[in-house]
Amino acid sequence: MIKESLDTFLQDIASDRTCLVSPSGVITVRELREAAQQLVKKTPSIKGRAVALCGLTPHELITALVAFDGYARSMLLLPASLSEEVTTMLVNAAGCEWRFDSLKEQPARLNEHKEGCSELQPTTWILATSGTTGTPKLIEHSLETLSRTVKRNVSRGGEYTWGLVYDPFRFAGLQVVLQSLLSGSQLCIPSERDINTQVRYFSDSRVNALSATPSLWRKLLMTEGIHHLPLRQITLGGEIADQGILDALKQIFPQARIIHIYASTEAGAAFAVQDGRAGFPLEWVDGGDAPVHIRISERNHLMLKPAQLPGGEEIHNRIDRDGYLDTQDMVKVEGERVFFLGRASGVINVGGNKVNPEEVENCIREMSDVADVVVFGKKSSMLGQLVVAEVLAAHDGDRTELKKAILQHCRARMENWQVPAMIKFVNTLAENAAGKRERIN
Amino acid sequence: MKEKILETMREIAADSDLTLVSHIDDSTVLLESGLDSLGFAILVASLEEKLGYDPFSMMDEPVYPRTLGEFVAVYERFAP
Repeated sequence: MIKESLDTFLQDIASDRTCLVSPSGVITVRELREAAQQLVKKTPSIKGRAVALCGLTPHELITALVAFDGYARSMLLLPASLSEEVTTMLVNAAGCEWRFDSLKEQPARLNEHKEGCSELQPTTWILATSGTTGTPKLIEHSLETLSRTVKRNVSRGGEYTWGLVYDPFRFAGLQVVLQSLLSGSQLCIPSERDINTQVRYFSDSRVNALSATPSLWRKLLMTEGIHHLPLRQITLGGEIADQGILDALKQIFPQARIIHIYASTEAGAAFAVQDGRAGFPLEWVDGGDAPVHIRISERNHLMLKPAQLPGGEEIHNRIDRDGYLDTQDMVKVEGERVFFLGRASGVINVGGNKVNPEEVENCIREMSDVADVVVFGKKSSMLGQLVVAEVLAAHDGDRTELKKAILQHCRARMENWQVPAMIKFVNTLAENAAGKRERIN
Repeated sequence: MKEKILETMREIAADSDLTLVSHIDDSTVLLESGLDSLGFAILVASLEEKLGYDPFSMMDEPVYPRTLGEFVAVYERFAP
């Protein structure tokens, strides 16, 4: 057996403790472990194999993670929101041998089958990035890289009930699942997507710990029920936490511990800032009491060197000679503080959803009425950033009609958050000295 | 001010293929008005273009309004 797996961690937690709460019922640690053991018994062929977990329910996913961590060679986690075409491609790219679409049925055996390996190794967790550039990339993690910032205090953990507002197949949601499981807390899983219903359910379930993006927190603060939650732990991640949202949360929940986490699918969980201020202390750079080795490159990119980096070619290409990973996040130093500015690549972050400006530009350029277009992010006090398009029309004509046509064209081909929030018609497009379009953030 | 805000809400709903609830008054809860959170963010950005200010980036103590009445009051309070 593997020395440390999700199941071995659960052994340390009182078995009658509740670990999952959902509208369909309450599950204790014992019940979760038993369900996982049954799953292992039912599917002996998974041992040492590469398995794909596709679009399972949150409850099924958690059972499968407990069952297969330390048992399967690798687990590929793919959310239900991916198309079948992308899912199949990623399952192949990850070399998966078995595929689950539900735990109610036996997994499907895939063509690719490697030589069996008898020795069990720590399981590789493979996640898909949520980037919108073409197809998602696969990033290899382990239980360790995923749970680096997780506080594992099982006796204190029992005091917390976490609310799950993210997709557990994604990095941010998985962090909440692991935080909750590894510290013996309860995880409250709502079945409805409507935010008011979710908050009411959290309130009924006495949720006192929540992790969300700054944009989602702004939205949560606009619901009535949120003020009634007895929050003791507030976590922000996934986009830049500004001072405004940190202050608002402090004001409404003065008793809560408020932290913002710097983490990404690529770098894993890196560090948590707990002093209630935006950015992080400058003394963490190049030494000091930093939770991870931090540098700032000449181009003002944040460079990180965690104890263990995730694998995969994508990561390998971004590591410098000293072993630091280029996070592609731009920072600036002001006094004794380092602040985040946004992505170096010009990627726009709309409430935690990443938008590649080139992709939107290409989409709009398909239209014959458009001569050219430049897309960039505009600061938004609500969602962090919004997508703005400056359009050079191909000929004179009704701008209102053209705007409508562009929006329709985009909406039919892209996700809502990729569709420009604003379209401006201009006579020339801004270019910088190098002839490259300027992306104004 | 309220009329300007309502007019902008209607424009955004039309652009975004969203339908506003048939009756909107001061007590209408913003998240139940028919605009989603993206639509709401676009509303704030569009009003900044029209009015020249974004009260939510000007607040020392951030307030997140729940109803249309509260939202209008925020804009009136910060009007230059």
